[in-house]
Amino acid sequence: MKRLTLTDISLKVWAVVVFAFLFAPIAIIIIYSFNEGRLLVSWNEFGFGSFSAIVTKPAITDAVLVSIQTGFIAALIATALGTMAGVALARRAGKWAPAFLILLVLVTVTPEIVDAVSLLPWMVFLGQDVGLSMFDNGIVRLVVGHSLFATAVVAYIVRSRLVGIDESLEEAAADLYAPPFKRFTQITLPLVMPAVLAGGLLSFTLSLDNTIVSAFVQVSGSTPWPVYVLSAVRTGLRPEIAAVSTIMLLLTLLALGLVAYVLRRAGDSATDIAKTVGGG
Amino acid sequence: MTTIAEKRAAPDSGRRATRPRPRWLKLPSFALAIPAWAWLFAFFVAPVALVVWFSFGYKPGIFGTHANDVLSFDRYAEALSPTFFSTFQNTLWVGVVGTLICLAISIPFAYWLAFKAPVARRGILLAMVMIPFWTNFLVRTIGWQIILAPGGVLSEAMQSIGLLNEPLEILYTRTAVLIGVVYNYLPLMILPMFVAFDRVSLPMREASKDLGAGRWSTFMNVTLPLAKPGIVVGILLVYIPLMGDYITATVLGGAKGNMAGQMVANQFQTAQNWALGSAMAVVLVLTILTTVAIAALVAWLAAWPLRRSQRLVLGDKS
Repeated sequence: MKRLTLTDISLKVWAVVVFAFLFAPIAIIIIYSFNEGRLLVSWNEFGFGSFSAIVTKPAITDAVLVSIQTGFIAALIATALGTMAGVALARRAGKWAPAFLILLVLVTVTPEIVDAVSLLPWMVFLGQDVGLSMFDNGIVRLVVGHSLFATAVVAYIVRSRLVGIDESLEEAAADLYAPPFKRFTQITLPLVMPAVLAGGLLSFTLSLDNTIVSAFVQVSGSTPWPVYVLSAVRTGLRPEIAAVSTIMLLLTLLALGLVAYVLRRAGDSATDIAKTVGGG
Repeated sequence: MTTIAEKRAAPDSGRRATRPRPRWLKLPSFALAIPAWAWLFAFFVAPVALVVWFSFGYKPGIFGTHANDVLSFDRYAEALSPTFFSTFQNTLWVGVVGTLICLAISIPFAYWLAFKAPVARRGILLAMVMIPFWTNFLVRTIGWQIILAPGGVLSEAMQSIGLLNEPLEILYTRTAVLIGVVYNYLPLMILPMFVAFDRVSLPMREASKDLGAGRWSTFMNVTLPLAKPGIVVGILLVYIPLMGDYITATVLGGAKGNMAGQMVANQFQTAQNWALGSAMAVVLVLTILTTVAIAALVAWLAAWPLRRSQRLVLGDKS
């Protein structure tokens, strides 16, 4: 056993402080979800009133349902597009690849507010001037807005996984006269499956979290949960919001745990999982 | 059998492109990327191009949002007029200071996580760093609103231990926005930095110690330079979204802590001046790109004497 030096001790203290900082607001939200008061910010007394109030407020349940529905469709689209793009980048990169990578990087680094203000006039243009009425639909707008960043993230994850796997299995299948489509579904896809699942779950979480783009492109009648909360910030926050957040935090943890489990079964180390979930 | 023949024929230049490829269906190599490309083009490139186009127009009358029959740079002049320029300055201040604070917090923390934390518990500790990152952004910011409120937890605690005599007046100021953005983007700095530190192998650091370098010297001359790419990624991952932040400033900033993101949003949602809002969005993006370029240049110039001295000490790089 090594003797602990002053540096070791101060580093450990620092780590504890950082973790306290990271968890302070989350702990506060969980505690305040049991607030019986009328306003979220002023603590009254402990109780479960806010949790039972969720059910009686259709606006809240509707918003959560819109979010889940959007998240699901957006994750499906982003995963399909991103997986194909990632496979192409890893296996068949040609002269087009750098340009495509630049596009993906641009999608990821553009501030969300710029995406949001660009999509609003574009949706209005497509829906009203071009006459594609599907773009007047709230869910369609949200799904499109949420799928952009997620597509890029899935493409990165799938690409980085495939780059690390040798192509010999696919070559063997080709030598055994497997047609390309079969090769893709029976060899390549199972190989990247952990990355695809991780990317899909991440897309879902990203969509649930999306506030800025949603606030701009949403149509009244299909307000997603974060936009409902954002409008409540302006009009007055009630404890129900903390209660729903606590439930959604549990769901997110479940999704995160699932990602970690899938990746671990696929043989990733903690570092690799961090890299994957961190989106790079 | 063609593959073997190709393998022999291919000159071993080490480039990926020269590797033999099985005969895929007769499709161009980018066929699988076409759907994603089309999707991103239709809903990212085109709309952003439209906004750039709007920024050269103007707002016609009270009810119109934009018009482009007369093109000019006037909206850019307007976006940079004193009223709005101070908000850009404020955003830049929050962006730079916030990123530096994240850096200062993350370096010791990521170092501890990579080298000092018990290996068996590293996975769970990393997961703990990620949990706030995947909690709803807006909700955790509201958590800070509760903490920082004048009658909130922090204020009460500081008063009860005698640090303060009156309620804490920090909510709806620039300081509150700074705390909020540091909190919201900190995991984006910690994760890549941890990965970078983790890649610096123990033998490297042990060799440095065997050669007589102290801990500090090893850290400054071996660990930190090797981890530099990860640190740069962390800085970019924090700085870029931070500059465009809209939610943190809305929840914690009030009137005093305005940021550029809110200004752009206001032009589109409240003022209905899409031309001016577009120009502001373009200015925001250009500000981010310019500052990143300047920072890169400064870092490169600052490292110049260091590179020379190291070259002399180390001699042959291999």
